[in-house]
Amino acid sequence: MARKTKKKAANGKWEKARTVLEMQDVHAAYHGDISILNGLSVAVKENCITGIIGPNGAGKSTALKTMYGFLRPTQGSISLDGREISGLPPYDMMANGIAFVPQNRSLFNDLSVEDNLKLGCWQFRSDKRKVAQELEKVYAQFPILKEKQHDMAGSLSGGQQRFVELGRALVVEPKIIMLDEPTAMIAPKISREIYDFIEALPERGITVVLVDQNVRQCVNVSDYIYILDLGRNRGEGTAATFARDEHLKEMVAEWLDYQID
Amino acid sequence: MINEVLLWNAIVGGIVFGVVYALIGCSLNVLAGVLRVINFAHGEFVIAGSFFAFAMLNSFGVHPLVALPISAVLFFFAGVALYYLLVPRLAYSDEPETSSFLLMFGVSLMMVSVITWIFEADIRPMNFSFEPINFTLFKIADAYGPGRDGRVLVPTARLVALAINLAIIVALTWFFYRTLPGKALRAATMNREAVQIVGINIHRLSAMAFGLAIALAGITGVLLALVVPSIDPNGGPDIALIGFIVIVLGGLGHPVGALFAGIIFGFVEQFSNLLLPQAAAQMVGFIILVAVIFVRPEGLFGKGQLK
Repeated sequence: MARKTKKKAANGKWEKARTVLEMQDVHAAYHGDISILNGLSVAVKENCITGIIGPNGAGKSTALKTMYGFLRPTQGSISLDGREISGLPPYDMMANGIAFVPQNRSLFNDLSVEDNLKLGCWQFRSDKRKVAQELEKVYAQFPILKEKQHDMAGSLSGGQQRFVELGRALVVEPKIIMLDEPTAMIAPKISREIYDFIEALPERGITVVLVDQNVRQCVNVSDYIYILDLGRNRGEGTAATFARDEHLKEMVAEWLDYQID
Repeated sequence: MINEVLLWNAIVGGIVFGVVYALIGCSLNVLAGVLRVINFAHGEFVIAGSFFAFAMLNSFGVHPLVALPISAVLFFFAGVALYYLLVPRLAYSDEPETSSFLLMFGVSLMMVSVITWIFEADIRPMNFSFEPINFTLFKIADAYGPGRDGRVLVPTARLVALAINLAIIVALTWFFYRTLPGKALRAATMNREAVQIVGINIHRLSAMAFGLAIALAGITGVLLALVVPSIDPNGGPDIALIGFIVIVLGGLGHPVGALFAGIIFGFVEQFSNLLLPQAAAQMVGFIILVAVIFVRPEGLFGKGQLK
C-alpha cells in the first residue's frame, strides 16, 4: 500500500512546520478529584498529522476534550496561534477554526442526515447559499450521504455515521480537526477509506490531531507521534525516530502490545 | 347504559382538558430534554399565569384573550432570567438532575408563598364571559326519554381555549420539526455534547428553552383560567403531577409524545369520572403512571433517549 512509506519519505516536514496549537504542562481532572492529565505537553504543527497513542486510560481522549474546552485545565496553558484558549467553552472552538469528532457518536440520531449537516452549519445558518454549497461539498466527498440525506442519522451503518460526523466537522472549513479514534468499531474496508481521507487533509490545509488505538495505522499516517501514559508524556518522535529508537519501540511493544517495524 | 349526553360531554371534556395537559407536558418535556431539569415548580408557573390573567382582568379590565400574548412575552423573559440565575450553577453538582429537582421544589414553595402573599389563599373566580355563554354542539333526540331531547353544551370559553390551544400545538410541532432552532432544541435532547461541537452556544439555547417552557406555562395558566374559571393558589402540585404523568406516558424528553399523552390522559380522566365512583376515578391516572413505568418505562412514544 502506498500509505506505508509515504511519511517516512516526508522527512523534515514536521521540523519546518509552525506550531499552531500547543498544550503546555496541562493538568486536568473530572469533578475536581479524579486527576486524568498530570502535566501533559503536546504541540500540534500546521498542516501536519499529530498522532497521540497510549494504553487504555492514558488520558488520550481527555487530552482532546481538554483542548476542546469540555474540561478546564486546573493548571497549565493551551494556546492557539500563541493566544491562550484554555477556559473557552467548546461551542466557541468552531468559531476559532477547530473542529472535533469525538470517540462516542456525536450525531443527532432522530434528525435526518441533512439536518445533522445543517446543524453543523449553525455558525452561518442565515447564509442559505453557503449552507447549500457546504452540503454539496460533503455529498461530493461522501456520495452515499446524498442518497441517505433524508434518512435518520441513527439508521445509518457505523461507517456511514462516521462519514456524517467527518463531513459535518468540515462544513465550517476548520483549520484544525481533532479526531478521537475515528475508526474504532468500524469495518476494515471503511477504515481504510477513513485513513485515506485523514491523510489527504493536510493537503487541503487542514491540521490533524489524531488519537488512535490502532497504533500501526496511527504511526503510518502521522508526521509526529506522542506516547501518553497516566496523563503524562512518555515518549515522542517522528515515525522514522520510532523505527530507530529501541527504547521507544520497547515501550510501545510493552504497553500497547504492538511491534513497530 | 350511559346517557348519550354525558358520554359526549366526557368526549368534549377529554379533548378540552387533554390539550391543556398536552401543553403542560410539552413544556415540562422541553425542560427535561434540553436542560435535564425536572421542573417541580411547573404547576406554580401555570397558576401564576392564571393569576396574571385574573389580575389583568380585575385591575385593568384586560380581557384574558389580550392577557394571553402579554403573559407569553413576560413569562418568556422571566424564564430566561430565571435560567441564568439558577440553572448554570447546577452544573457544579455531581448530580445535576437530583439537584434540579430539589432546587425547583424550593422555587415551587417560594412561588406558592408569593402568590398567597399577593392574592391571598382563597380560590378566586374569574368574572368574565363570552357571548353566548354556552355553545350547543348538537342535539340528541330522545336523550332523556321519549320526546325529551338532550343538548351537548360547551361553555364558549372552553371552545375558545381549545381553538387557541390547538393552534399553539400546531405552531409548536411546526417549530420543533420544521425550523432549525427547533431542531437544535431536539438535538440538545438527543446529544448535549454534540450540540456544542457544532458550535451552538448551549447556554443561550438552554435559556431559550427555559424561556419557551415558562412562556408555555404562563399561556397554559391563562387558558386554564378560561377552561376552569376559578383559580386555586394551592393548585400547583396537582398540575405538576398531571404534567409528570403526561411526560412519563409520552416519553421523557419527547415534546410531541407529550401532546398525544396529554390528550390520552384527558380522556382517561373524563371517562373515569363518568364511569367510576369519584374516589376511584382519581386513582386511575396514577395507576396508569405506575403501569407505564413498569411496562414501558421509555413511554408510549419515547425511544429511551434519556436513561
